[in-house]
Amino acid sequence: MIIQHCIANPLTTIRKRRELPHPGKVLMRIGDAVESSQVVAQTVVPPDFRIVEVAQDLDVPPNNANAHLKVERGQAISVGDVLASKGGLSSRTCKSPLDGKVAGVGRGRLLLQATPETVHVNALVPGYVVEIEPGESIVIETVGALIEALWGNGYEAFGVLRVVVRDAANPIRSTHINASSQGSILIGGSTVDAETVQQARDMRARGMIVGSVPASLIPDLQDASFPVIATEGIGTTPMNQAFFDLLRSLDGREAAVSGDIGDRWHRKRPYIVVPMPTQVGQAIQPDHPPAIGERVRVLRGAFRGRSGTIEGLPTRAVALETGAQVPGAAVDLGEDSLVQIPFANLERLF
Amino acid sequence: MAEARNIESILVADCGTVVTKLLLLERVGGSYQFVAQAETLTTGKPPWNDLSNGVVQGVQELEAITGRTLYSRGHIVVPRHGQEGVDALVVVLSAVEPLKVVLAGLVKEMSLESGRRAVGGTYATVEATLTREGNLTAPQETWARTVRNMAPDAVLLVGGVDGGARRPVLELAEAVALGSSMLEEERRPTVIYAGNAAIRSQVTKLLGDITRVVAVDNVRPTTDTEHLGPAQSALEELHVEERLRAAPGIGNLSAWSRLPLVPVSTAFSRVVDFLWHREGNADRGVLGVDVGAATTTLAATFEGRSYTTVYEHGVANGLIEWVERHGMDRIMRWVPDEVEPEELQALLYNMELQPSAIPQTPRELWVELAIVREMLRTALGTARPTWDVGSAAMQAARAMPRTDPILISGGGIVLSPRPGQTLLAALDGLQPAGITTLLLDSSRAAPAIGAVAGIKPLAAASALDSGAFVSLGTVISPVGPARPGEVVMRMSISYEGGGELNVEAHNGEIEVWPLLDEQRATLEIRPGRRIDIGMGPGQGGRVEVLGGLVGLVVDARGRPLRLPRDAERRRRMINRWIWDVGG
Repeated sequence: MIIQHCIANPLTTIRKRRELPHPGKVLMRIGDAVESSQVVAQTVVPPDFRIVEVAQDLDVPPNNANAHLKVERGQAISVGDVLASKGGLSSRTCKSPLDGKVAGVGRGRLLLQATPETVHVNALVPGYVVEIEPGESIVIETVGALIEALWGNGYEAFGVLRVVVRDAANPIRSTHINASSQGSILIGGSTVDAETVQQARDMRARGMIVGSVPASLIPDLQDASFPVIATEGIGTTPMNQAFFDLLRSLDGREAAVSGDIGDRWHRKRPYIVVPMPTQVGQAIQPDHPPAIGERVRVLRGAFRGRSGTIEGLPTRAVALETGAQVPGAAVDLGEDSLVQIPFANLERLF
Repeated sequence: MAEARNIESILVADCGTVVTKLLLLERVGGSYQFVAQAETLTTGKPPWNDLSNGVVQGVQELEAITGRTLYSRGHIVVPRHGQEGVDALVVVLSAVEPLKVVLAGLVKEMSLESGRRAVGGTYATVEATLTREGNLTAPQETWARTVRNMAPDAVLLVGGVDGGARRPVLELAEAVALGSSMLEEERRPTVIYAGNAAIRSQVTKLLGDITRVVAVDNVRPTTDTEHLGPAQSALEELHVEERLRAAPGIGNLSAWSRLPLVPVSTAFSRVVDFLWHREGNADRGVLGVDVGAATTTLAATFEGRSYTTVYEHGVANGLIEWVERHGMDRIMRWVPDEVEPEELQALLYNMELQPSAIPQTPRELWVELAIVREMLRTALGTARPTWDVGSAAMQAARAMPRTDPILISGGGIVLSPRPGQTLLAALDGLQPAGITTLLLDSSRAAPAIGAVAGIKPLAAASALDSGAFVSLGTVISPVGPARPGEVVMRMSISYEGGGELNVEAHNGEIEVWPLLDEQRATLEIRPGRRIDIGMGPGQGGRVEVLGGLVGLVVDARGRPLRLPRDAERRRRMINRWIWDVGG
């Protein structure tokens, strides 16, 4: 049996895939070293276009419209260029609404295509290119600390980690943020409010990592323009102590932060990567049954967000407060007694 | 694979969005039975990105249970060699993204509605609709931009009865062609044309140079006829081609199996169809509901006609999107405890982020069952307009048609700790009318049975007869106008083996009378003058019924079910219903 897992590891080998939104060009080769801001792949966004109703605008029959055209198929155009005109008493002109080219002519209409825009994908995580999917994606490998979270607002950044609260149960407040926060990725403990997000924006912080974010704040956070990551998801659960301790040990180091959670069919985990100047990291092996002594985190119920150690693997099903009897483990959460948690609600921590 | 007549052991790998189930069906004596099953996490997403990984994990558990070797030298052994392996491996899949469809058509209530129903019958979602909606001129630029921006997997182009409107359909086709031409060739949508048959060749010619066109029969050949089958089949084929065959790790599974991949909805629909033929009641349909993490499937058969609806939401994936569209109150109203909106919203978000987690506290369970109710209600709202129920119709026009049995399946609903909880969620969500038996697919074997039916129907029939499903009980739901507390029905229960009970049902109440699993009883039912129990208003009679895990249930709460607006009263009422059914 395999269970969910989550990585919060100070020194591991990390592989991160960087994908183009749709097919394009990968600019790197296997073995290349990349920096965070380096462009590693690019693609052209399908260009904007306009249909110009020449016959209608000049008030001429469609089959006569071609006689009034001042441009031809394939010709480059700029905003305001005259595309067609009609002289005489009722003179009229058609002007280009965009920069681009004439893509098509026919039936009294012009099809204009805007100059295509190029989208760049940067490396985000400094490291080495170890895999390439031509035209689609690359995989970057590095060694360092990796912390996976549950929720993020979609943004990415690279900056210096700065712990601004004393412990994992403390919320980050606006008073914790000042001019020295500029360019930093701020680490709070439990949760965050709207005023604090605004203060971080005003002080040009580069990101924020907290335990949880309130559901009502999500629309604000989606407009925050910098990454906000919640290690425990949505609500008020404080940051897991093990995560907080690891982040505190990384205070002052540069980190790559991704708040990308994908969509409902392609879920991704937000992450924090802190590259380290070493070659060897611990390998993660998720494909084995849960074992006594392994560290786990609880995903549901009264102990949600707490981590502990598997102390027992009962052969009989564990009884839940709901009345359900399901396979599970006895977990030591540092309390006086062990708690029984279903495997479905446990994540192995690496 | 061995010849069908020689198949004695079948391994079914059912890869769901969250859980992968492995079921081993074997010939035991003269019948086929599930002899072992195992489940594990589905591994189609990171860090695994390989469905076969989870399947192998599950197979290894089966090996530990049965003591047999099924997996050897890097593959599942098919066909069997002596004691090693199985005669056939069938792969059932739902763990893939649905097709993204742009629907283009003319009249909202006609072709577009039919097109929407066709899409609803398979794993596909309508991402955008192209229609004039009262504009004098066709907004071709907007339509083309929509196709270009969405880059859908398919455009379902409908409109015009056969021999009817031409120009408006061609304008849509032109816009689709323009939008498609602006995408890279590999991203261009397949156009399924199911409109006016008279211009099929024109549409194909117009679009054929730009993208792939599949022309099928019109979904609305005349104003008052609907013909969804060919369009649905085209979408299903595209789904298998674009999604199932592209699922991560499917290469291994297909190489081991060498049988066609089966979508879960297809497999589930086969079981419902089979139940209808086995029951042999022409005046009643059979309904099946499969509530999963990502989708809710409703399969129904009436007078031998099968209908499948795949609703794009389940109890985890897509919850937030659902709440944004329908509002949180729809879920909140079913929760028997007072819960703050912020807390509920947080729980819903976390359920979506961690779909494999299960309810651990009573509150989490009530919220999950509230979601089940709403998924069933919304899916039913999509499914019912597609049904031609024929003689199964009740006299009350809005009442559910007579369906017996109703099969309840899917991890989202069958794992509730108490049978009464499952039963009440199903009754609240579906609001059946008349007399029906609720069957519970507690081992979640229905998709596996449906998949087996595709290669060895005898084995599937045998598995069904050997008790694959358990009865929750017989439910009588009287329908008709009545005052609160009024006696709507009197009933005498004569138990097989002796004993009789005379009872009354009061409007607004749900009551459970003792009738154990597999125990039989004869009911003499006498409904009120305007009350219909499926025999017509005021008509009663003798009925033989079977018991179940809950018992004999009389749901006299009325149809449609009305919940008090006052939150405190509503919670008291829901708590009483839960108590009444032993939930």
